Amino acid sequence: MEEGYLYYPGCTLKTKASDYEESAMAVMEALGKPLVEMDDWYCCGAVQSLTEDDIMHQIAPIRTMCCAQEQGEKEVVTLCDMCYNVLKQANERMKEKPDDLETMNEFLTEDPDYLGEVDVHHIFEILRDMKDEIKKKVKKPITDLKIAPYYGCMLLRPDHVAIDDTEDPHIMEGLLEAIGAEVIHNPKRTECCGSYHTVNRSDIVEKRVEDIVSRAVKDGADAIALSCPLCQFNLDFHQRNTEYDIPVFYLTELIALAMGIEVGMEKHKIDPKSLLKDKKILE
Amino acid sequence: MTDGYPDYMQESIKKVKETREERMGKTYDRMTPSEGQEVLNNFHPDYKKEGKEELKIGPSKGRKVPTELAKLLRARSLIDPSEIDLTQVDHDVDVLIIGGGGAGTVAALWSVYEGIDPENILISTKLRHGDSNSMMAQGGIQAADKDDDSPIKHYLDAIGGGHFTNVPELVKALTIDGPKVLKWHEELGIMYDREEDGNFVELPGGGTSRYRLHSSGDYTGMELMRVLRDEADNLDIPVLEFTPAVELLKDDKGQVAGALLMNLETNEYYVVRAKSTVMATGGFGRLHVQAFPTTNHYGATGDGLIMGYRAGVPIRDLDSVQYHPTGAAFPDQIVGLLVTEKVRSLGAQPVNMDGELFVNPLEPRDIEAAAIIRECRGRENGVTTPTGMQGVWLDSPLIEMKSGEGTIEDTLPAMVRQYERFGIDITKEPILVYPTLHYQNGGLIINEDGSTPVKGLFAGGEVEGGVHGKNRLMGNSLLDYNVFGRRAGMTAAKHAKKASIGKLTLDHVNDYNQQIEDAGIKTDKKSPLLLPEYRGKKVLERHLDVEVTL
Amino acid sequence: MSEDEENREMIEIFVMGKRYKVPKGLTIMTALEYAGYKYVRGCGCRGGFCGACATIYRTEDEYKFKMDLACQTAVQDGMFLVQLPFVPAVREDFDIEEVDPKENDNVMLDYYSEIARCVSCNTCTKACPQDIEAMDYVQAALRGDVERCADLSFDCIQCGLCSIRCPADIKHYHLAQLARRITGRYIHEHSDELEKRVQEIKNGEYDDKMKEMVEMEMEELKKLYEERDIREEG
Repeated sequence: MEEGYLYYPGCTLKTKASDYEESAMAVMEALGKPLVEMDDWYCCGAVQSLTEDDIMHQIAPIRTMCCAQEQGEKEVVTLCDMCYNVLKQANERMKEKPDDLETMNEFLTEDPDYLGEVDVHHIFEILRDMKDEIKKKVKKPITDLKIAPYYGCMLLRPDHVAIDDTEDPHIMEGLLEAIGAEVIHNPKRTECCGSYHTVNRSDIVEKRVEDIVSRAVKDGADAIALSCPLCQFNLDFHQRNTEYDIPVFYLTELIALAMGIEVGMEKHKIDPKSLLKDKKILE
Repeated sequence: MTDGYPDYMQESIKKVKETREERMGKTYDRMTPSEGQEVLNNFHPDYKKEGKEELKIGPSKGRKVPTELAKLLRARSLIDPSEIDLTQVDHDVDVLIIGGGGAGTVAALWSVYEGIDPENILISTKLRHGDSNSMMAQGGIQAADKDDDSPIKHYLDAIGGGHFTNVPELVKALTIDGPKVLKWHEELGIMYDREEDGNFVELPGGGTSRYRLHSSGDYTGMELMRVLRDEADNLDIPVLEFTPAVELLKDDKGQVAGALLMNLETNEYYVVRAKSTVMATGGFGRLHVQAFPTTNHYGATGDGLIMGYRAGVPIRDLDSVQYHPTGAAFPDQIVGLLVTEKVRSLGAQPVNMDGELFVNPLEPRDIEAAAIIRECRGRENGVTTPTGMQGVWLDSPLIEMKSGEGTIEDTLPAMVRQYERFGIDITKEPILVYPTLHYQNGGLIINEDGSTPVKGLFAGGEVEGGVHGKNRLMGNSLLDYNVFGRRAGMTAAKHAKKASIGKLTLDHVNDYNQQIEDAGIKTDKKSPLLLPEYRGKKVLERHLDVEVTL
Repeated sequence: MSEDEENREMIEIFVMGKRYKVPKGLTIMTALEYAGYKYVRGCGCRGGFCGACATIYRTEDEYKFKMDLACQTAVQDGMFLVQLPFVPAVREDFDIEEVDPKENDNVMLDYYSEIARCVSCNTCTKACPQDIEAMDYVQAALRGDVERCADLSFDCIQCGLCSIRCPADIKHYHLAQLARRITGRYIHEHSDELEKRVQEIKNGEYDDKMKEMVEMEMEELKKLYEERDIREEG
């Protein structure tokens, strides 16, 4: 797409993570490469099925690939880490296993065949490649903010869909530096947040969250930056039973702030606005 | 699968196409009162001498009703009271509602709003909850809410359309409650067609002087019914499906005190004792008066008229039956099904085999229907179908010429779908129509609060009479069941709070059977009918009346 | 041969596996009646509005099931059919006062969390006799787009074939009903004209005039009716 990127939102971006969508869209717009939502798309399924013969759970992501194909596009950009991971893995499987692709196309008889020519990208890959443009657009570098980046699992594992080095990623660090933030190196940044255990085993999640946040705070972080809406929810919401209450930002919110773009940040449990006011980033 | 209109009909369609441009935007003068009367006298089925019978027994002795109904009114009860044990009460409730269509469901909801615990309400229904004519109404519901309109104008339209035979107090209730009903519907979340600013899209109907018809595409009745049913589900109002009432019960004080129900699947009877009983059984289209096909649902067999009449409620205006001017006349599979008046509201004209307009498209229903019958039978300008039906064209493609491509798909999705199945594209080809039996204009006598003259019994919806006189206007039936369902429900609730019931009896049924004897009536029929008979003749001739036991 | 069979072209159908000869040109519903079945269940409005006569069938040369309404479908030679008069799908009770989507950004998931199991197989859409994009409205519900869910599902007659076929046990027609009610109540603007008229009625502004109408002599009323101005166009 010449004028921007074909954008796959995923369900959460339309509901719980609307702050992420809003900030990401604003940033990309300002960078002259707007995110253009797909005409049609489907829920990714939210969990990648690893079972060898489970084609059923590959249908949803592949339908979305078909939608991109029918729009004449070869690239799709996602924001949500979970969507990214599921779409990417399902799509790679179709590319690597022609038999699976054939089975899939057999099932989708009423739709045009998927040719396996679409690629899935995460927004961070796009932003990484536009670091210089971002630097140029920074109006209010957030120099006073100490930010601990957090990657979680879905951007880095399994290795063949990772957007960066699985054990030692740097994408966020680079982007945070570009907008002037002080990066707090966080050794827990690739550990799991507890993920879907949030539904019925909040004890597991709370322990994970305490572990991750306490380390960040100990190392001096004012806040955490990340991408995944589920990680955001867990790290944000589940601080409630800990002694901590540091804001958990979508990285794009921070980029937007540095570029002087107003963003809502309305769905955060721990209100980030007082921190931003203290640091004179917000008035 | 039928593949559209056969070739010989295509020739007539060609003529319709040729005259379309010229007819577009033209009107046909409405008939003067005397012209209207003349076409009614000569061609409307109600005005024929044959086909009616005078009642010899019961509270409205001497009145004339269609023969098909008379046969059921002079039939013996379906049950033998001596076989029924009334001492064993299966359901003891405050409010029993007989009928799970629009009126019954509205009555149940308003009984709850009036303070009756849902547990103390029971809806008995012959088919499923919601199976009713209410579900099938397509066109819309009238209510005077526009600035250029008023309940007074609505009153005048309704009473004039009914040839001034309506009960004034009932018309008043109908028209003054209209806007309130719509407000309630908004709160329940019924999706009406609206303008950008939230005001309703409103259309004219036959005989209305203002644009007053509110609709939800051509699924208006379905949208209302499914929301009302959904709300009844939310409130956990008990419903017994496939368990119709077969007789009312009375007590030793002579008031109605519940009903005897029958489980249609096990044939077991249930005794329901109720402080108030609401009759909401709907109409009688499935009696096929004068052998007309009908738009009505499967269970529309007039059971409430029979039960109510036996219990002593007089009837009115049943000598007039509403024939909807435009029932489907082709293909054979859907003959008699409704082609909503909204098709004409949107601009389609009725034209004859030569493509000529012969009547104003929006006359009151009886006049419009009579004019179509005249065009076919009197002037022989109709189109004959392969199975020998007659019909005139309803030129639907005019709608899109008038309001743009896509209008039909947007406003009449049900109609498009129905014809598509048989290879007919109504956006490009006209629809063949002929009048079809649609509505029971009259019914049980009620007061404006929904009570009948018999203590303990209330009624709302198509089963009652007087609201529409001898001819109902489009959009007033959905309104009727809401207004009088509501009033009957509220009045029943109030009554239930102070009523006390004595010993249950079925003596009135014995009395009625005796009256049949005394009048010297010979009958082998039993009523209520419950379900019409459509089984093949060959099968019925060889039918063994044997009960199989395991 | 009976009179019928002499005059009409007959075809063979299989009702729950049992063979019957019926005249061509009937609907599935009237064909069953011709064959001698008397409906108690499985028959409602007979006009395509109530969903009582959902039917599953296949034709001789096909291996796939097809679904349609018995009252709206012409019977075909060699049809194997069965009706589905009832679907035992769970419906969630709700209070219409408590489902404002502005208060809850995914109210649909709260009531019907199983929609998250949708695998986009589209079996529901293929089952729908009304040709509704059922999968698409489930997807809309999943992303919190209640109005789209309502609009796409508007023509639903609640026969339940979608839910019977769903591998994820989604209750399509119930969740769609919730979406439509939320839309009618909270998403669509309500009418100012109606509100104004309701207040006028409450304030008794029509009482005197209505009393006059109710008490009016017949002749005067008729005159008034004949002389009333009728809005014709526009």
